[in-house]
Amino acid sequence: MINRRRTNLIRVAAVSAVALFSPAVACTDLTETPTSSIAPENFYKNEEEIIGGLASVYAQLRATTDDYYNLTEVSSDEYIVPTRGTDWYDNGRWLELDRQLWGANSPAGLGDVNGAWNALFTGIARANVALAATDKISFASKPVVQAELRTLRAFYYFLLQDLFGGVPIVTDTDIKPRERNTRAEVFAFVEKELNETRAILPDKWPTEMNGRLTKGAANAILASLYLNAQVFTGTVSTTGLQPGAARWADAVAASDRILNSGVYTLATNWRSNFTADNYLSPEIIMQVMFKAESGLGLNFLMRALHYSQFKPSPWNGFATIAEVYNSFDAADQRRQIFLVGPQVNLETNQPVLDRTGNPLVFTPEIHDVTNATEGEGVRIAKWPVDPAHVNQDNGNDFAHFRLAEIYLIKAEALNELGQTSAAVALVNTIRARVFSPPKPISAGISQAEFRTVILNERLFELTSEAKRRQDLIRFGQYTQRPWFNKAVREPYRILMPIPQTQIETNPLLAQNAGY
Amino acid sequence: MTLVRYILPAFVGGMLWAVAVGAQTPPTGTVTGRVVDSTTQQPLPGVTVLIEGTQRGTVTGLDGAFRISGVPAGNQRVRARRIGYNPRVATVLVGAGATESVQFGLSASASLLEGVVVTGYGTQRRVAITGSIATIDADKANVGTIANVSQLIEGRAAGVNVVQNSGEPGAGVQIRIRGGTSISASNDPLYVIDGVPVNNVETETSAVRISNNEPPLPRNPLNLINPSDIASVTVLKDAAAAIYGTRAANGVIVIETKKGAAGGPTMEYEFSAGKATLGRHVDVLSADAYRQFIQQQVDAKTVKPTVLAALGQANTDWEKAMTRSAPTLNHNLSFAGGSANTQYRASINHMNQQGVVIENGFKRYQARLNATHQTLKGRLRMGLNLTGSHVINDYLPFDNTGGFEGGTFINTIVYNPTYPVTVTDPTSGETTFFELGPGFQSVRNPVALASQIQDQGKTTRILGNVSADLDLFAGLRGNVTIGVDRFDSNRDTYMPRSNPVGAQFQGLARQANRNNESQTLQTVLTYHPQLGGNSDFELLGGYEFFKNTLKEFSAETRGFLTDALGSNSLSSGSQPQPLFSQRQDSRIIGFFSRMNYGFKDKYFLTGVIRRDGASAFGEGNKWAVFPAISASWRLSKETFIPAGPFSELRLRAGWGKQGNPGVPPYASLILLAADGNSRYVFGERAVTGFTPTQNPNPNLKWEETRQTNVALDYGFMRNRFNGSVEYYIKNTADLLLTVPVPQPAVVSTRLENIGKTRNKGLEMSLDGQLISRSSLSWTAGLVLDVQRNSVVDLGGRSFIPTGRVSGEGQSGQVSQRIIPGHAIGTFYGPQFVGVNSTGQQEFNKYKVVRDSTGREVSRELVGTTTSPGGDDYVVIGDANPSFSLGLNSRANFGRFDLSFLINTQQGLDVFNNTALVYATKGNAKRGKNFIASALTDGVGIDEPQIYSSRWIENGSFVRLQNVTIGYTFDIPKLSGFGQHTRVYLSGDNLLLLTDYSGYDPEVHTDASINSLATRGIDYLHYPRPRTITGGIRVQF
Repeated sequence: MINRRRTNLIRVAAVSAVALFSPAVACTDLTETPTSSIAPENFYKNEEEIIGGLASVYAQLRATTDDYYNLTEVSSDEYIVPTRGTDWYDNGRWLELDRQLWGANSPAGLGDVNGAWNALFTGIARANVALAATDKISFASKPVVQAELRTLRAFYYFLLQDLFGGVPIVTDTDIKPRERNTRAEVFAFVEKELNETRAILPDKWPTEMNGRLTKGAANAILASLYLNAQVFTGTVSTTGLQPGAARWADAVAASDRILNSGVYTLATNWRSNFTADNYLSPEIIMQVMFKAESGLGLNFLMRALHYSQFKPSPWNGFATIAEVYNSFDAADQRRQIFLVGPQVNLETNQPVLDRTGNPLVFTPEIHDVTNATEGEGVRIAKWPVDPAHVNQDNGNDFAHFRLAEIYLIKAEALNELGQTSAAVALVNTIRARVFSPPKPISAGISQAEFRTVILNERLFELTSEAKRRQDLIRFGQYTQRPWFNKAVREPYRILMPIPQTQIETNPLLAQNAGY
Repeated sequence: MTLVRYILPAFVGGMLWAVAVGAQTPPTGTVTGRVVDSTTQQPLPGVTVLIEGTQRGTVTGLDGAFRISGVPAGNQRVRARRIGYNPRVATVLVGAGATESVQFGLSASASLLEGVVVTGYGTQRRVAITGSIATIDADKANVGTIANVSQLIEGRAAGVNVVQNSGEPGAGVQIRIRGGTSISASNDPLYVIDGVPVNNVETETSAVRISNNEPPLPRNPLNLINPSDIASVTVLKDAAAAIYGTRAANGVIVIETKKGAAGGPTMEYEFSAGKATLGRHVDVLSADAYRQFIQQQVDAKTVKPTVLAALGQANTDWEKAMTRSAPTLNHNLSFAGGSANTQYRASINHMNQQGVVIENGFKRYQARLNATHQTLKGRLRMGLNLTGSHVINDYLPFDNTGGFEGGTFINTIVYNPTYPVTVTDPTSGETTFFELGPGFQSVRNPVALASQIQDQGKTTRILGNVSADLDLFAGLRGNVTIGVDRFDSNRDTYMPRSNPVGAQFQGLARQANRNNESQTLQTVLTYHPQLGGNSDFELLGGYEFFKNTLKEFSAETRGFLTDALGSNSLSSGSQPQPLFSQRQDSRIIGFFSRMNYGFKDKYFLTGVIRRDGASAFGEGNKWAVFPAISASWRLSKETFIPAGPFSELRLRAGWGKQGNPGVPPYASLILLAADGNSRYVFGERAVTGFTPTQNPNPNLKWEETRQTNVALDYGFMRNRFNGSVEYYIKNTADLLLTVPVPQPAVVSTRLENIGKTRNKGLEMSLDGQLISRSSLSWTAGLVLDVQRNSVVDLGGRSFIPTGRVSGEGQSGQVSQRIIPGHAIGTFYGPQFVGVNSTGQQEFNKYKVVRDSTGREVSRELVGTTTSPGGDDYVVIGDANPSFSLGLNSRANFGRFDLSFLINTQQGLDVFNNTALVYATKGNAKRGKNFIASALTDGVGIDEPQIYSSRWIENGSFVRLQNVTIGYTFDIPKLSGFGQHTRVYLSGDNLLLLTDYSGYDPEVHTDASINSLATRGIDYLHYPRPRTITGGIRVQF
């Protein structure tokens, strides 16, 4: 019995031993080697790979024409997205933006505002990953490539503080909760970065590299930064903006660096800044490059046009309000961006019908923003159809900055510096190419009168170019002036709320005042 | 090659052991015999016959015959048992080298306590099982039209919830064992077929999108296995599953296929033909009702006269035009037999199931071979299981989720009923599909969509394993199993120019391939000594290596001059799209050990420990240990406990830890890849951009579930009635959750181990032999399932949104939130109050006070609003049932048999996304149809659709899932062959009692955001048919 038990014990031990020691003979290797993607440390080995890495940081510029663009445009008077029967209610998001009634927990706050926050920070994160990787290696174009990456990052920060005020300034690649920097700190960071990179970036790129950032781009962002310095370095409380110091002279200086660079001239034909071949325009300083290729094209037409005006069928959403349309001078060439009255298919030029079978007519009046008909609201088609478009993808580039705006920035700054007549001359240069016969602003107007002139002129020149929200805030009108469907709103709404989903993720983020 | 490197040593090692201990074998003989049903005298296949106290045993063949060799000489007790029958024991004197014969007649019983159960890497006597296990007798469950094993399980096992995605032939399923604990990671159980874990990934690439909509969910990968080849399905729910460690958190489904037996050969042929029809209807306006409605609206000046003028002359019921009475044909032929040392079973199957919606279906061709051979006087047993399967999926272009332009089901509802399906040109006589206009438009003739879009997938799958099982010395057994699972599929799609969908691309052709290769190596040593006395002890140790490679390739071209070439000539298209290819490799490695100890057949203890590693986790977090312990005590065997009414009473308890590795390979790494979003244009050239596609998470590790299970098994009236009551708590921690991360981050989300969920539940089963006479027997079974799921923690977050709402005007709308304290599948939205006099919907309006972090502190109802904002959103429903119940019954009277299965779920909410979007009169302004309930809902014709509690419906239902009636007759014996024939008629889904207004409340639409689970959303799914099947089975 004892013997047998011992034998059993030995056998148990043997089984256990085999079970336990089999690791020694068996495969235990679990190292992962990715096969259809690559670790950053194995990438960035040559110029071509570096361009590939750089392209992805640029690629995020496309996202600035989505949620960021929609927030700035729809919350201003330039655009309105009425609910059209069963279409475009979308959770009430658009009505919230139209009426400036968003919140940190509201559909627009959790949707579009959150989307803009993510898209812009993604650009920053991509830049940081590429900067960290290129830091470790040396290559001929390293200074310029890193300057581009830093300029892109500064631009994404420029847009973030525009929407949200202070945000965390991050230059490493760690993912962790971080506190917000103040808006003035973000301003200073952007300013410092751009002042450094503008010394390194080239004046121009060879044609095949068109679209990469230049000195002009860095200077244009700086000019805009300085123009808005009182807002961008100010503080926002529930009672509104406590402005920071003005930087008008810096705005003039930054503008002059562009104007005197000899690189840019105003396009003779104003519309050529928006057509599919607008990459040829001598006026464009910094643009988002688009191409008529799946996923790489501009789709503004889809947002605005009626279902039957284009192929594929557009979405019949974005329109403008009568007030804005009517403020344009009938003789102003720039008014041609509006589609109003009986409509045609923009590709075939054939008259089109609405979905109930009547001829499609766009009317300036929208009788009810919660229940508009198909034809209500004037449409903006500033970027015309690209004849080579592939489905919804058009090749027209979107300029964040073009020379005309630099004229206007300089003019506005000069006026604030008391040089109104020089400012009027600059505005008239811009107007000269769009009025025939010319219709200049009278040289004798006052500084105060010029302020009205410049705000309007910026509307006429830059409608739909994502500037209107900044302009209205700078002029104190964004929340305070009522228009069509928007009443006077609380002054703290010049900043967007931090979406609640972001605070859930990063509890160190303090909410903006008022929300 | 790697595999060979590790198999060889294992084999060689095993052989050395064999030689070393080979000399000790005592003299043996052979036992043969036959088992029949004592009532019907019919042969009983699938009966386990064991020589007690030894490892010798087998399973009877179709003719009820068995043969066991290598039986030690002397007096032996031979035990025959089969689930559903009372076991019998016979004593046989076995002479050395002699063959003894013994006959068994088993009487039917409902006892759950008898039989042998497959528990993973071995079998166990049911009475000795300490874990929570449900067994399904495949023969009993295989009634009606069953395309795959998932359908066998539905309603037949407590704690196992099976929801078919839709009524599509071979549709995918959501199987949740004990509620499903994961939020982001997979909730799929592990499937083990003949001992080899199977990588249950979709076999074919997903569909080409129609517009921006999400394509339908993939079909069930298990369609490749013929249900008629399945002998039994065992569901391991708790600590018993822990032997599968890492992959066991969602439970394990162990499938054993039918095996051959000595004797014969026997042959069986089965043929069934089914007819599926649409069970329920979505009530839209008829052409006449539609004309009348438009006329009324025109009179009321709410719709323009042009809409009336545009109406057609036809009277089309689009649902009728889109559906059909669809046949299913199924042929099974099998033969089995063998000698004492070699047994085999071979089967072939052809199934052809047409969809109840036109122009789709699935076909399966399958052949299977199972063979076993024993040598070295029965001490070495070798086995082979080989399945070759070819499945052809004909797909229908419909949508899972999406906006207003869509596939067949959107258009079936909205397409104008006054328009015809086809038009015939009076001059040419040519008949074409009617479309609203030339080229692209968002409303499309659904019949044309179904007919013109070609989309076919073909998959060939080889599933095979070979095993060698060697008695090393008395009580010690070594086993090596090598398994290979390989599939290759290609999916060809062509959207022709002649169809509005294809027209937008001037024709679109795609070919997409997907192939997967899994290799498994298992080495197991089992030590089961004959201790004598009162103790029974078994120790098992093993190693498992699993390696998987998945590859995909697709090419797409647009811009064709002609539709004639279909998808066969991609080079004929003028617009080639970027090519796509990818490859993923993953490995899982495990070391495991299990100890079973039984004392006096009264006390049982099982301990399991497994150390598992998976390549997908972060460096340093790849390995983890999964222990489990469970015990049972047969109270009814104790003399000091009064028996009371119970003939059997057994207490079980167990605790175990299991893992969930359901994450994609490389999930912990930062990876750069080229994708569409990272391309950018420099000059005029699009430059390929390389960008990080995911955030790194080096800490990524297992999701761990700790499960405690307490159960009472009972039997009374001499076990004529028996069953069990179980209570469990499953705590899942380190949840694999895709969560938003603090910005800046290259991607806005990351897979992290964050949060906790808890599932609690009560499972009850009761089986009874209600009547047991020679002329009439009646058994019935009941399974009851009460589950409570709740999210305990989300890593400090107060909620995460999920559940996109589909349809026009719904972009950005979300229907569910994952909230601590609430279940997964909690609906969140405004509370619908009613419709006001101006036809606007009104919702509760709240005033909410929030703290400095934006979290809600209090809320107060302050009235109603017609435009609900963020503060007006509250919890409005729960997709989880309060309980579910399955009732099955089977009766034999004379030669007739009758069985049925009723399935019910109560107290669940379903979001009827279909009604939200399509029960809207406003469609009429654009010539579209709508669901008739909108006629009387009082909502103005211009009102937008607003997601709210109005669309959360009670989804409680009672379903008569199957009724089968059969008749068996014997044809006089011919030349020694017993002929046995059964004819039957079976109905699936004959009756559905529910207040739910859609096609079916038991549905699944995957509307997840960032892969966060959604439950209970119904959007335009493929209707679930009612099927009548007739069949005949002949045994030779």
